[in-house]
Amino acid sequence: MGEPAIQVRGLRKSFGPKEAVAGIDLEIAAGSLAGLVGPNGAGKTTSLSMMTGLLRPDAGKVLINGVDVWSDPPAAKAVIGVVPADVRLFERLSGAELVEYAGRLRGMPASEARARGAQLLDVLDLADDAKRLVADYSTGMRKKIALGCALIHNPQVLFLDEPLEGVDPISADVIRRLLTRLVGSGSTVLFSSHVMELVEQICDHVSIIDKGKIVATGTTAHVQGGKSLQRAFIDLVGSRASDEEVLSWLGSSSS
Amino acid sequence: MARVLVQLKLRLVLNALRSSTAAQTSFILSTFFAFVVGVGGFYVLSLFRGLSASVDLTTVIFTAFALSWLILPIFAFGLDGTLDPATLQLYPLRTRPLAVGLLAASAAGAWPAANLLGLLGVTVGLAVGVLGVLVAIVAVVLQVLFCITLARLVTTSMARLLRSRRGKDLAVFLFIPIFALLELLGQVIPNAAAHGGITAASFAGVDAWMRWLPPGLAAHAIQDASHGHPGTALARLGLLAAVIIVLGWLWVRSLDRALVTADTSTGSSQLRGTALPLARYGLRGVVAARFWIYQRRDPTSLVYWAMTAVIMVVVSASTILGTAGPHKHPGVVIGSAVVGAGFVAYFHANSVGLTGPPFITEALALTGRRSLRAYFSGQNIALGVIAVPLLTAICFGLAAAVRSPAQGVPAAAVALAGLGAGLGLSNILTVTLAYPMAKRTGSPMRQAAQGFGSYTFGGMLASVAGVAVAATPVILAAAFTSTAPAAVRTPLLIICSAAYGLALAWAGVQIAAREAEGRLPELCQIAIQSTV
Repeated sequence: MGEPAIQVRGLRKSFGPKEAVAGIDLEIAAGSLAGLVGPNGAGKTTSLSMMTGLLRPDAGKVLINGVDVWSDPPAAKAVIGVVPADVRLFERLSGAELVEYAGRLRGMPASEARARGAQLLDVLDLADDAKRLVADYSTGMRKKIALGCALIHNPQVLFLDEPLEGVDPISADVIRRLLTRLVGSGSTVLFSSHVMELVEQICDHVSIIDKGKIVATGTTAHVQGGKSLQRAFIDLVGSRASDEEVLSWLGSSSS
Repeated sequence: MARVLVQLKLRLVLNALRSSTAAQTSFILSTFFAFVVGVGGFYVLSLFRGLSASVDLTTVIFTAFALSWLILPIFAFGLDGTLDPATLQLYPLRTRPLAVGLLAASAAGAWPAANLLGLLGVTVGLAVGVLGVLVAIVAVVLQVLFCITLARLVTTSMARLLRSRRGKDLAVFLFIPIFALLELLGQVIPNAAAHGGITAASFAGVDAWMRWLPPGLAAHAIQDASHGHPGTALARLGLLAAVIIVLGWLWVRSLDRALVTADTSTGSSQLRGTALPLARYGLRGVVAARFWIYQRRDPTSLVYWAMTAVIMVVVSASTILGTAGPHKHPGVVIGSAVVGAGFVAYFHANSVGLTGPPFITEALALTGRRSLRAYFSGQNIALGVIAVPLLTAICFGLAAAVRSPAQGVPAAAVALAGLGAGLGLSNILTVTLAYPMAKRTGSPMRQAAQGFGSYTFGGMLASVAGVAVAATPVILAAAFTSTAPAAVRTPLLIICSAAYGLALAWAGVQIAAREAEGRLPELCQIAIQSTV
């Protein structure tokens, strides 16, 4: 196992009386493709926001490649890329303008930002839509263009919140390959997802979060414990069973 | 079907009362305003009795009601579920009963009732005798029916567009004439009327062409019946009924089409260029490029500029329209310049909230005070490129309109200084008084999120007052040098004011960058809470 790229210690955040993140500890090795899974409202987005310097924690420490996110935000921001869950982009820029803007915000020369932007749009199958306003993009296209914006400066650590939600299977495969390639070159990826099959397939490290706490973390095989990740997840978090017998009228054989 | 759709409409209205406090407040205010419009309309129309221009004024009011029926449903497209045929597309419904049902649903609610009540004022103001009153009642019913059918036809045939991004943009642009009309009715006309600029006689003959429009037919039918021409009155009502039948037929056809063609595609077009301008100028240049593009492509930004222009004209309107007297003073153009610059500051005093969640992309790259200075100055450059020529041109235009072209120079000087102060102030307020913006149902424009209304008021007060204070030295300098030769005074005043404005903008950028450095996570949260 390499040096940790992401180290989280005692991270906490409350919103009024509700404790969204109740002191999480996490360690992700450099070059890992790590998944953060949990039920709705478990604290995944809040945790990722605090790890990326977008939400000030009540307590705790986050180190990215040894740099404290909350002591030296500029140094940490320089090495990370972020794709938020609720992808909200500059709707009135075209796809090409948006990716170039993201690159130039990171201090890249205009020519390089344009060239890399064009390559990313091509790989993400958005080249034909490069001149269309982002406002007219579908949900999946927005996810892809957001990923392009997060990748343009070749981040050492990439955070993604539900990256494949609303993305078609072909684009999802492209994204999966992009992430694998990024990790293969030594970068680290941490993403949250509800899709257990995906996490099981591509992640070498998994953390399960529930009610603001990490309930299991380690290599994917370790967390699975010989079961499918879906089963392991349900066993750890608990299923929310309900009485489906009341729907006895449902089905073609009923009247 | 009619019963089901009327019940649906009433259920939607009642559900508004059970939802959030904001929706409840909005419903109560809307019902209250409907009552005011109903009673007020009745009262105003009844006042026309005996006036020589009574039929002319009635025609204008009937036409105004029809126009509001035409425009408001486009605004409220997302608010009234029964307006969009796509909501009913999935059900096995035949067009004819559906059309009758939708018509009945349109007639249900506080606003149609207020419309009917208000227009019945003609039974007092215009109708004379039993026949006049009877024709007035029929004319009002036909006028309301005309308004409903027209509104349904427009919303149904435009449904596909209104669901799209372009349709939503169109709704935002409609804010400009509505705002201008409100300013005209609320400020300009009352002021001009108070100073003798406009009288009831001014409206005589305005219906020369309006009388042949459907609302004019209704108004003139009442006039004819009241003056012993029942045949002409019936002919006009018959013509109006025929127009309604044709509109209804067109609407049913449009509904037929909408039920099988409705979709949510936007039909977007390709833009010409793909590269951002100002490539050579680093972070400042790229931020300026982004803001510059937004000022051209974002309808809200365009509406803000149009509103600034309208406000500047309104401030000088009493002098432009008024007769001679204490209210006519060419110096009012300087007031327009101060208010214009103040509103430029106010409209951009919450740029993080206005940018919304995309600000995260920018925040991830803002890594220190230097980059924050570049960010704010880039923003100011883009706004200045539009504001300087716009405000200067309006100042000179208003000076010409008040027949004192010389006032254009001090007004432009005040505008330049005020803009510098305003942009600097907007940067500071963006950091210190940031608040989330939200899009509310029924309004295409974004407003302060619930609980942040006082921030909007504070921002406006601070912007206009701050600009007024900052512009005072220039106003005094203009006053003290009013007798100096124009060849010396004009360049000196303009250059010194511009330099003063630039210094104030620079100071604002410095302060804002210093304050923002420690508050970026909080600003990010405000951006995330905003809806775009």
